Amino acid sequence: MPTIVTCFKWVVDEAYVRRGTSGHLDFTSVDYKISNYDRNAIEEAVRLREAHKGSVIALTVGVPKCAKGVKDALSRGPDQAYFVADPSFGSLDASQTAAILAEVVRSRIKSYHLILCGEGSSDLYARQVGPRLAQRLEIPCVSSVQKLSIEGDRLVVERRADAELETIEVIMPALVTVLPEINTPRIPGVKDTLMASKKPVVIIKKEELSQVPEGRLQTIDFTASIMERRCERFGTEPAEITRFVDALHRKGLIK
Amino acid sequence: MDFELTDEQELIRKNMREFADKYVEPIAAKIDEDSRHPAEVFEKLAEGGWMGMPIPTEYGGAGSDYLTYIVAIEELSRSCASTGFTVSIHTGITCMLINLFGTEEQKKRFLIPLAKGQHLGAFVLTEPGAGTDIMAATSTAVADGNDYVINGKKTFTSNGPTGDTYVVFAWTDKAAGRMGMSAFIVPKGTTGMKAGEHFKKMGLRSSQTSEMIFKECRVPKENRLGQEGMGLHMAMTGFDHGRIGIAAQSVGILQAALDESIRYSKDRVQFGVPISRHQAIAWMIADMATDLQAARFLTYHAAWQKDQKRPFSKQASMAKLFAAEKAMHHTIKAVQIQGGYGYCKGAKVERLMRDAKITEIYEGTSEAQRMVISGNVLKAS
Repeated sequence: MPTIVTCFKWVVDEAYVRRGTSGHLDFTSVDYKISNYDRNAIEEAVRLREAHKGSVIALTVGVPKCAKGVKDALSRGPDQAYFVADPSFGSLDASQTAAILAEVVRSRIKSYHLILCGEGSSDLYARQVGPRLAQRLEIPCVSSVQKLSIEGDRLVVERRADAELETIEVIMPALVTVLPEINTPRIPGVKDTLMASKKPVVIIKKEELSQVPEGRLQTIDFTASIMERRCERFGTEPAEITRFVDALHRKGLIK
Repeated sequence: MDFELTDEQELIRKNMREFADKYVEPIAAKIDEDSRHPAEVFEKLAEGGWMGMPIPTEYGGAGSDYLTYIVAIEELSRSCASTGFTVSIHTGITCMLINLFGTEEQKKRFLIPLAKGQHLGAFVLTEPGAGTDIMAATSTAVADGNDYVINGKKTFTSNGPTGDTYVVFAWTDKAAGRMGMSAFIVPKGTTGMKAGEHFKKMGLRSSQTSEMIFKECRVPKENRLGQEGMGLHMAMTGFDHGRIGIAAQSVGILQAALDESIRYSKDRVQFGVPISRHQAIAWMIADMATDLQAARFLTYHAAWQKDQKRPFSKQASMAKLFAAEKAMHHTIKAVQIQGGYGYCKGAKVERLMRDAKITEIYEGTSEAQRMVISGNVLKAS
């Protein structure tokens, strides 16, 4: 009966970000969502509980208005949530997030078999929180996992590594970061959404934590990237084909 | 005054949006063209608990408030007005009537499978000679031993061909006038009830509409819904609830029209610029966005009134009247914005315009709504 912790981040839904003509980004009418791959992590945790019984704990760090994200997460199946909330937690970097999560896992949750995280968040995709958290907890970490099963006290995972698929056996407790190929997250049913706020949520304030480390990364600027397309056309005569091959050489696309 | 939806309502909207994008949007044009009821979508709606949202959990529903349900109908209708309407008639009228007026036995037997979406509900009132003039109906239900025997012809029954549980209205005592009609729960397969001609409609084509023919149709007394003579009162109550659903459906259509208009006008270039830069088009879109906002708030307010247990007939009528007329008006504009392309099959706005028309007609024509509203407003002195 495993205890599974599933970490998630409440992020800006990029579909609502608007771009001004100068390239600046307009966040005034954004909506928020659970980071895409974190949804897969939550789904996997709930599926494992459906197969093996046990319990699922959702865990997140953020500003107080992320409470909506906590309800969203709970509507997807976890039994309870831990929410570390503070107005200053809007722009934590991965090392800070991992430190906070590690403290909550060690001092509050204490006993667990598996921690699931998305491979990276929808907004920054730094892919650091999972491995940093595992290192702080001194447990094994496997990233880029697209298949996962529990067999006794072991985890058997399929890891995608560039051109290969690795099958790895991991002794629990362990941390796994998942890719979206692992499952298709369910659309929460109506009752699940309405009952989510009845599930227990432990709210932890910044003052209750020991020192939150200083951030080591500072975002200086945030603009839209512009894709320059050259739109060069080539014909089908032999001379044109030669020109085409030359262009590919020049671009370094063929050797 | 708090104009915010709750977190739960926002999540419900998001989830229905995801559901509709995944299962409804991709087939909406085809089920309209083929006039097909997408049973596979309704199975998934049932699985997700979308078919009986405001019905109490002990009767198979999700126990939501009415506003939460209305938000879901709006979002579903944005992808397909037919699908949104089918759920609305099923939940907002059939389920609600049995929930409000049924006996414990009737609720266990009929409401639970309806709210769970295992059965589809229908509301059988309109007749060839009795639309807005309900009193001109001729169907009768004559008491005979332990049964009632229903005879008559009904028309424009939504979910007629596909329904499982029908709430049917007929005279038990014509002489008693407004207190002479009663309602009956008639399950599919009852001898003497059958769907008649299927209608080929201008719009809302995926919704199945037919006549219902009653010939010596025998229903046990236990199937009578509410007291004898309460039929008209129950029908009006059904309309009060259903009208908010239709208003939500119209809001969904309006939102779809606005989305389409913004998308097209930013893409389409004429005279060197996207047409959204031309004031004529921009102003059409401004009017569309404004009326959408107004329609939405009228609709939400009507649902809120009901949730507050306050009278909501007038508000439901106002919301339905306004949202329907604006949906029609602006879907015509949406086609206009898309010009020749908007007039062709394949353009979403072409379907939106055909779908919008019926919202001005069913569940009380705009004329009937004006009668309700003026009756209400003029008497309050």
